[in-house]
Amino acid sequence: MKLLDLDSLSDIRKIGMGKLLPGKPRIGVGLGTCGIGNGAQAVFAALERAIGAAGLDAMLVPVGCFGFCAAEPLVSVHLPGRPLVLLDRVRPEEAPDIVAAIAAHTIPESRALCRIEDWDHFTSQTHFGRGFPQIPLWRDIPFFHGQKKIVLRNCGLINPSDIEEYIAIGGYHAFYHALQKPNPLEIIEEVKRSKLRGRGGAGYPTGTKWALLQKAEADIKYVICNADEGDPGAYMNRNEIESDPHMLLEGMLIGAFATGATEGIVYLRAEYPLAVERLRRAVDEARALGLIGANILGTRFCFEMKLVEGAGAFVCGEETAMIASLEGRAGRPRPRPPFPAQRGLWGKPTNINNVETWCNIPVIIARGGAWFAEIGTSNSSGTKVFSLVGKIKNTGLVEMPLGSPLKRIVYDIGGGAPSGKRVKAVQTGGPSGGCIPASLFDTPVDYEALAGIGAIMGSGGMVVMDEDNCMVDVARYFVEFTHAESCGKCIPCRVDLDQALRMLNRITAGQATDQDLVDLEELSQMIKECSLCGLGQTAPNPVLTTLRHFRHEYEEHLRAKRCRAGICEQMFLSPCENSCPLHMRIPWFLQLLKEGRLEDAAELVWLDNPLPASTGRICQHPCENQCRRAGVDDAVNMREVHRYISDVVLEGDMLDGVLARLLARKLPATGRRVAVVGAGPSGLAAAFYLALFGHAVTVYESREEAGGMLRYALPEYRLPKAMLAKEIRAIERLGVAFEFNRTLGSNLSLDALAADVDAVFLAIGTWKGHAAGITGEDAPGVWHAIGFLEQVVRAKPPEMGRAVVVVGGGNAAIDSARTCLRLGCEVTIVYRRDRRDMPAISAEVDDALREGARLELFYTPLRVVREADGRVAGLECLRTKPGDYDASGRRTPVSTNEKVIFPCNSIIMAVGERPDAAPLRQSAIQVRENDTAAADYVTYQTNRPKVYAGGDLVTGASNVSSTMATGKAAAAAIDRQLMHQDRMSALLGTFEIAPELSVDPPGGPRNESAHLPADARRGSFAEVAAGFTPDQAIAECVRCLRCDVKETCAAHAAGGHRA
Amino acid sequence: MKKPVALKFDGKQVQADENDSVLAAARANGIFIPSLCYYTGLSTVGACRLCLVEIKGVPRLLSACVTKVAQDMEVATATPKVVRYRRMMLELLFAERNHVCSFCVANGQCELQALAQRLGVVHTRYAYRYPRYQLDASHPKFLHDSNRCILCTRCARVCEEVEGARTWNVMGRGIHSDMMTDLNQPWGESPTCTTCGKCVQVCPTGALAERGVSAGEIRKRENILPYIESMRASGR
Repeated sequence: MKLLDLDSLSDIRKIGMGKLLPGKPRIGVGLGTCGIGNGAQAVFAALERAIGAAGLDAMLVPVGCFGFCAAEPLVSVHLPGRPLVLLDRVRPEEAPDIVAAIAAHTIPESRALCRIEDWDHFTSQTHFGRGFPQIPLWRDIPFFHGQKKIVLRNCGLINPSDIEEYIAIGGYHAFYHALQKPNPLEIIEEVKRSKLRGRGGAGYPTGTKWALLQKAEADIKYVICNADEGDPGAYMNRNEIESDPHMLLEGMLIGAFATGATEGIVYLRAEYPLAVERLRRAVDEARALGLIGANILGTRFCFEMKLVEGAGAFVCGEETAMIASLEGRAGRPRPRPPFPAQRGLWGKPTNINNVETWCNIPVIIARGGAWFAEIGTSNSSGTKVFSLVGKIKNTGLVEMPLGSPLKRIVYDIGGGAPSGKRVKAVQTGGPSGGCIPASLFDTPVDYEALAGIGAIMGSGGMVVMDEDNCMVDVARYFVEFTHAESCGKCIPCRVDLDQALRMLNRITAGQATDQDLVDLEELSQMIKECSLCGLGQTAPNPVLTTLRHFRHEYEEHLRAKRCRAGICEQMFLSPCENSCPLHMRIPWFLQLLKEGRLEDAAELVWLDNPLPASTGRICQHPCENQCRRAGVDDAVNMREVHRYISDVVLEGDMLDGVLARLLARKLPATGRRVAVVGAGPSGLAAAFYLALFGHAVTVYESREEAGGMLRYALPEYRLPKAMLAKEIRAIERLGVAFEFNRTLGSNLSLDALAADVDAVFLAIGTWKGHAAGITGEDAPGVWHAIGFLEQVVRAKPPEMGRAVVVVGGGNAAIDSARTCLRLGCEVTIVYRRDRRDMPAISAEVDDALREGARLELFYTPLRVVREADGRVAGLECLRTKPGDYDASGRRTPVSTNEKVIFPCNSIIMAVGERPDAAPLRQSAIQVRENDTAAADYVTYQTNRPKVYAGGDLVTGASNVSSTMATGKAAAAAIDRQLMHQDRMSALLGTFEIAPELSVDPPGGPRNESAHLPADARRGSFAEVAAGFTPDQAIAECVRCLRCDVKETCAAHAAGGHRA
Repeated sequence: MKKPVALKFDGKQVQADENDSVLAAARANGIFIPSLCYYTGLSTVGACRLCLVEIKGVPRLLSACVTKVAQDMEVATATPKVVRYRRMMLELLFAERNHVCSFCVANGQCELQALAQRLGVVHTRYAYRYPRYQLDASHPKFLHDSNRCILCTRCARVCEEVEGARTWNVMGRGIHSDMMTDLNQPWGESPTCTTCGKCVQVCPTGALAERGVSAGEIRKRENILPYIESMRASGR
């Protein structure tokens, strides 16, 4: 049957309507590639069987994809007169239950994701019905909230292989009405009015482009659809064709009629077999109805349609290269002009648009250009489909009005990064695009705004990256891609990219120099400005944007030879070693202990970490966050193992032996003298290594004993002071001298010190409590956490009264709370954000709650409430609620009007600490705005020659391992400066261990140290964690997957350096 | 009909035909713009990017060989930026393959070498790639040495556009691109090659050479094509 007029179109529409709303249950299974990949085909078959078995009179149809990839397979169920209900993550074994529910005229509500009552196809409306009020409306699901499905108007709702369903929702009607226009120019005017811009990425106004083709005079003109979607992470075009191929054909038909083209070609990736199959079928269907061919719909308009499968060259997205490919030549671009509209395919005028551009056309014609122009922003109208992938909870296709801020897409719709990590950046536009840092997520997504920050819209791929992504490696990956896809015609793209890739490979291998970074930036700029086509001109964008926004990561790779994200494997031993601030060679000591070589293990542990017993108790253990064993069951409990090793040594008779080994490693006396100011963990670490380097080290400490915060702020139940004293004594025995009661600025002068010794290392810590800035906090009854903890440690606990409120969410807050509990107080912890935002060690918070602390979240302190006599009566707080996302992806608390008074007798403020900057300023040390000392982050050198600074004094309040790491690094830098060579790796040496690997994950479940029961802890400062038993320690060592055992890097590197 | 247009090169007023490219107009007026892929009488491909110039009012750099002149156009041929980029381009070419002048048949006759001398490129800051290419000495009269090739594709164009043989073509892509004869058969076994030798004459370096010449001995005739074209035009 050939369609000839509106009546025959209406006839088909009625038939199609009978399929869409059949008057009996209709079950649709999302059978896009992504759905099939998640098992939708099996679900379809299971439903078919179940329907047959139940003898249910229902219609089962394949539909396209509704876009929520993370929730596939999606099944839609529509009962007559009721809303369409989407079931998510459907498994084949659920089919009988679903069918049974439908047979009982209902739906399995517990399995429902959302319901749709009415749907706007923009070419018509469908009213499904009312009911199921318990199931959320689709718009109320975070993933769909704010989406506007214009391009995806039919996706997931109609059968893509049935033209009658497409016609039923108003399909081909826009084309029919376009054909009735006396002057095709009216159509072009309508498209111009819509301000539609090319969705392939460049954003050229579609109407203007069409007008060029319309004006060109030739016997044959072509319209081409670029469906050669090749960006890594982009798949919107695939889904559009798989789910609704006719909207593309209709768009092309309208475009061809408007511009006078008589032939259309879809250049489609061969790697999309399902899209090829469905589009081919759609073309056949349309031809059968006379929508393609001669004298379409009874007019004089004739149009032929061809499908060409691209051979997988990324450069063929460049229109002149695509034309070459269509003509049977190698896909290489040529300079423009002449533009395709002047001389295109076979020398004839040609217009090329992206899939999504074409798909917008039927709606623009149906609803008018002015209507379309209202959507989005004034310069970027309409919507854009983005494929949201990478480190994001809700992956899927998202169609948003242009101009929507990135943070809405990433956090509200995407749900942020999975596993609670921080989102670092989004890469838009694939290899031609740029990386946008989280600090710029306010940027509206439109053509100009993205270009303004060095990225591009591209075809709409959005790859989300979190803190485990190395931005240098991201740039390297994309350059590797464009390098492989470069056609090789012009010198900049061919040779530059090769050199750029080599430089990036050197950087990620830790072999680059500062000059490489300079050359890389210059090369990138040159490729951008000099290349022949768009591929080369945009290829350096990932490099240039990461250099712009993440330069510190490049510098860290270059200067500190460090890949913080743990991606660039050639720079570290194992993920745990890389994430350990002290770079403890964890897999080695685990292996040594496993081999029964306890003394070797102890030697290694001490060499890497001079306070292994203390850190073994209180470290934040970042090693566990990166442990690959966590992918199998749980991370290896590495901290407890080195606590075990050091406890055995310190409590047994092995210390002399270990110290003898360390002294044997000690380098010969250099005659150089180094002063360390501050005997906290940072100063102790520096002193330890400086002594082993052979320098004469004296540590000056203002208090009467060494240990700093570990000694004076850490509560006894976490860190027994006797243990710490033994560790410090060991450091002393390695040749470190101590002078106590010497305070910088009073009885210790930096000038005198600097004149006397060869180098000074300042590590005076952060002992000043931050003020919360509220009324009444400067009077008795209100304590700063550190001062309070110190008094308790000195066995002079202040009188706290019955009830205490602790303000803050860090470790100092939790330590204060748990100390108060031990003093017999009732404790309330007040924090202004959510529990997961608390910077304290999570297990410590759990312990505090177990011991009886109350946690009040989303409150910010307002004022101290006092009795008439001045005694504290309570803390008045303002209720907060989560507001907008900040650069770290956490939601900033915003105050509400709700006030609450927490009654109490005293208050502990644990809202941060800062250094006492006065003695620094006196000594002409450059100080930053937050009172920390300004020092280089690799060498820890200050503005004064010979003077170095580290620890919390430089970084601000941090944690024990990070602060010790600065001492270790500074010691290496000081030694390098004094001895003119790098002696650290020689000092640390290497250990012969077995490269043992097993195929299956070895060992059993994770071991935990025994804990004192919570009720036994009240009133007692006895240590809570008992530590491992010998059996536990060995069992835990066995669990290590030995990431340190690698194949030789040569084979790996060769892959990236093909000549 | 020739229609004259007036334009400026680096402030100097010149006249050109409206169909001229910027490069042709510059050459006709004795103004130097470097180029490697351009060859008078062959189609232009804009591939080597050495002839990039700045044109007033155009934000991008344009290659002079494929850009048409226009009335009142103001061309800057040697701004610091384009001079810097050209030098980089040459450095990259030297790093790409094995250009060892002292051993090369084209030493002293090589366009790449001459340009480097003229632009003051005395060393390359980039890492040499040292690729390994086999010498194709299968042809009785000529040699093909990819080690010296800069992929200007003059050989392919002269073979297709003037000789009509289409023996030469580009294979591979990106950094792995290379010139091949027929479907990567040895040149000597090529059924299409007419042994006319035009490819050898237009080759800017020592990549294509006549057999029997030693280092520095190659001699190439310049501008052979206008002669061939006018011969054809006169019908002889």
